[in-house]
Amino acid sequence: MTGTVETGLGQRTRRLLAAWAWVVFAFLYVPIVVLVVFSFNASARVNIWGGFSLAWYGEALSNEVITSAIRVSLIVAAVSTAVSVVLGTAVALALDRYRFKGRRALDGTIYLPIVIPDITMAVMLLVFFAEAFKFIDSFGPRFTLGISTVALSHIAFNISFVCVVVRARLDQFDRTLEEAARDLYATGWQTFRRVTLPLIMPGIAAGGLLALTLSLDDVVISAFVAGPGSTTLPVYVFSSIRRGVTPELNAISTLMLTASITLVLGALALQRRRASASQQTQVL
Amino acid sequence: MTEAVAAVEIDGVTKRFGDVVAVDNVDLAIDDGEFFALLGPSGCGKTTTLRMIAGLDLPTTGSLRIFGEEVGMAPPDRRPVNTVFQAYALFPHMSVRQNIEFGLRMRRVKGPELSQRVAEAIAMVRLAGMEDRRPDQLSGGQQQRVALARALVNQPKVLLLDEPLGALDLKLRQEMQQELKALQRTVGITFVFVTHDQEEALAMSERIGVMSEGRLLQVGTPREIYETPASRFVADFIGRTNLLEASVESAGAVRLANGARIEAETSMAAGSEVAVSLRPERARLQPRGAASAEGSSLDGDVRDITYLGHAVVYEVAVGPMSVEVRSEGEVGQPFAVGDEVTVNWDRGAAAVVAD
Amino acid sequence: MQPANRPPASTGASGEEAAEVAKRRQGMLLASPGSLYLLIFFVVPLALISVYSFATRTSTGRTSLSGWNVESYRAIGDDVIVGIIGRSAWLATLTTALCLAVGYPFAYYIATRPRHLRAVLLVLVMIPFWTNGLVRVFAIRFLLGSNGPASALSESMGFGTFRILFTPTAVTIGMVYSFLTLMVLPLYVALERMDWSLTEAARDLYASGSKAFWKVTLPLTKSGIVAGSVLVFVPSFGSYVVPDILGGAKTLLVGSYIARQFRDARNYPLGAALSVLLIVAMLVAVALNQRSGSGADSGDRPRRRGRGRAHAEPEPVAAP
Repeated sequence: MTGTVETGLGQRTRRLLAAWAWVVFAFLYVPIVVLVVFSFNASARVNIWGGFSLAWYGEALSNEVITSAIRVSLIVAAVSTAVSVVLGTAVALALDRYRFKGRRALDGTIYLPIVIPDITMAVMLLVFFAEAFKFIDSFGPRFTLGISTVALSHIAFNISFVCVVVRARLDQFDRTLEEAARDLYATGWQTFRRVTLPLIMPGIAAGGLLALTLSLDDVVISAFVAGPGSTTLPVYVFSSIRRGVTPELNAISTLMLTASITLVLGALALQRRRASASQQTQVL
Repeated sequence: MTEAVAAVEIDGVTKRFGDVVAVDNVDLAIDDGEFFALLGPSGCGKTTTLRMIAGLDLPTTGSLRIFGEEVGMAPPDRRPVNTVFQAYALFPHMSVRQNIEFGLRMRRVKGPELSQRVAEAIAMVRLAGMEDRRPDQLSGGQQQRVALARALVNQPKVLLLDEPLGALDLKLRQEMQQELKALQRTVGITFVFVTHDQEEALAMSERIGVMSEGRLLQVGTPREIYETPASRFVADFIGRTNLLEASVESAGAVRLANGARIEAETSMAAGSEVAVSLRPERARLQPRGAASAEGSSLDGDVRDITYLGHAVVYEVAVGPMSVEVRSEGEVGQPFAVGDEVTVNWDRGAAAVVAD
Repeated sequence: MQPANRPPASTGASGEEAAEVAKRRQGMLLASPGSLYLLIFFVVPLALISVYSFATRTSTGRTSLSGWNVESYRAIGDDVIVGIIGRSAWLATLTTALCLAVGYPFAYYIATRPRHLRAVLLVLVMIPFWTNGLVRVFAIRFLLGSNGPASALSESMGFGTFRILFTPTAVTIGMVYSFLTLMVLPLYVALERMDWSLTEAARDLYASGSKAFWKVTLPLTKSGIVAGSVLVFVPSFGSYVVPDILGGAKTLLVGSYIARQFRDARNYPLGAALSVLLIVAMLVAVALNQRSGSGADSGDRPRRRGRGRAHAEPEPVAAP
């Protein structure tokens, strides 16, 4: 058996479906591939192929504004991922298995940052920081928008994403495994450490990966809450695109593409190795 | 009875999925009005055979006729057969009534005829009052009956049932066996059902086709299949049996691996390697030396005793072989582990089977 | 049992109650850091923006928090803003419809492949999904630009340069490109869960291939269609990056218009009021999705084949 699921469609419909699928794949990949190819273009004119060259990469990476933006992006991504994984997992555990005061309110609120559009989240945080600084300034210390406000904002949306992903994992968790551990003399903490945590680890890792990607991806919120000198790479690219398309931008974009694809494939490889026994390929 | 045209006639049908041969050159004729079972272990090709009759899979080669009409390549919606699916495949987004109506509506049956036929079908499977429920609001037995009504309301010439009772628990299964038999007598059409449960096949069907690894090994009445299995596989798959390795000595006798000579009818040539199938309940246990001269016997020691309430099962070591003897209606405790005994059976109780 | 459970405080008559209280406290403890963070950096900003929407814009472009009024909400009724909202809604609807039309057959194809191939194709879908969104929009901009590769190709073939950039068409292409995977994934999940013995049953009951699709497959994958549509509609409606990069003056959408109020125009109250409107609209969309989703749960949940007794496993038609 070929393994193709029998769905009762005619031969012609099936051929059309297959052709369509490959058209869609082309639609998804052609723009990216063209972009990557042209990042190696020696010509400064974006529409003429002038031979292979790494010149634009050299140019981009020797630009101090760009290297600084890369540094900011990496720091923000690392910090916001670390914090949101811890806080988000804790919230997911609390929501999944405890009843406490304010649980319903938290349960409702946790989804909001995912649902509302980036632009509203951005202006909300902009207004918030402006008011907060006004308030703090009245006590003396002076704060301004900068790398810390970017990181704080990223954590604000990442907690929710981590929480949702971890909770999905907890949802399918077999609680009898914990009961078995308790039956075998494990204390509550040992049970968590030795049984629960390892089993929800793929969920936590997926949540962390999502947080990392979202942080490296974000442009709208960062554009509003970043101050001078704390521009992230996407914000830099965004404002550069408005000024016009340059081959240098192709090079930076290719670097960003490589980073995100490496992240996904690395995560998939990790997952595959872990899941090779249970042979379940589940992304995210 | 005159030679009527067969309800289902399968002629040299083979089905391949890639490199795998699921059904291997099967010939089979199922009579009109017959309750026929296709029996075999998982992966033997019985479901594929059923699906080819239904039109859900198309044969790679061979011919398939329903009441004389060639349908091998016809799509399922152009065949006068309906199926009761494994796990029923009831449409979860439709009510019981909508499920039952589906086939009629697809064939543009409308108005009073539609409502009358649906009402009859619902009455037939005793589901009155449940018409507006969704399938997931029904018990397993009720879902089964909806599936039956949904198929039978179309008045198919042949009803196909794919493990129809597999999803029910034991007690319900036994009830449904009786109900299905009664239903088949009422509607009078051919039922072809697939099962891996040999007891179910023996209890329900008029004839059984035993399949293994894509081949149809034997077709016969339950009694023929049980008492004169055509092969080692059939003997072993249907009921419990002792298979004793042997070789043919003459038309009336075989010699067992331990050297004992046994009287048994066989048409196989002298020297053929065969097995003797001895059903545990056809064998008797007697104290050594008290054996009657009738039939055949083997000497051994009782190795294990299992008490089942209505029967006692003895495991008797005969040299390197082990023979199971099932004794019913036994009074007291005639044997103990370690007793020297003789296993004895009547002439004709054991069958010689080829490999 | 719970993680980090303390040993029972006592074993008396109140032991159960004490354990209950301890458990409650433990839950609070776990939830509080995240909750506190969310309170400060999400709930307070949300409240602030609502407050701002009732504030007054001074002549210097500052926001005065005294003198509450609903001027900003009234201003939304202005023709220009109504036009912007209408255009945003239209483009978001168009994007959703296109994603559904493109994505359904695509998801259908992937979900009906053999298992190993399905996994590979799914990874191919996931890669763009996880790829930097801004870069993907830039790729479209680069490809479609009047001096970009697509234009050069059409020129060399004699069709002349094409001017698609900075039109609603370009924005729609960019949005479909950006959000297509958000449609495909829930559709894939719904189709992959689909119990295909149901379409076989429909075929057995005299439905043609297309009848079986419209009567059985489509209704049973409704949950995926609704979820995918909401997932695409919500970010399309509030989209800021895509129209900003691919659109022109004629494609000013509500997201860009809000941004403008907080940047050049310095009309915070109007921007805040539009933001509140946007948030409410999104919440309504999501709530509707949840309602239809739970509705689907009671009736449209595709049942998997072979549930029930252990030895009732479906016969593998043939082993691979």
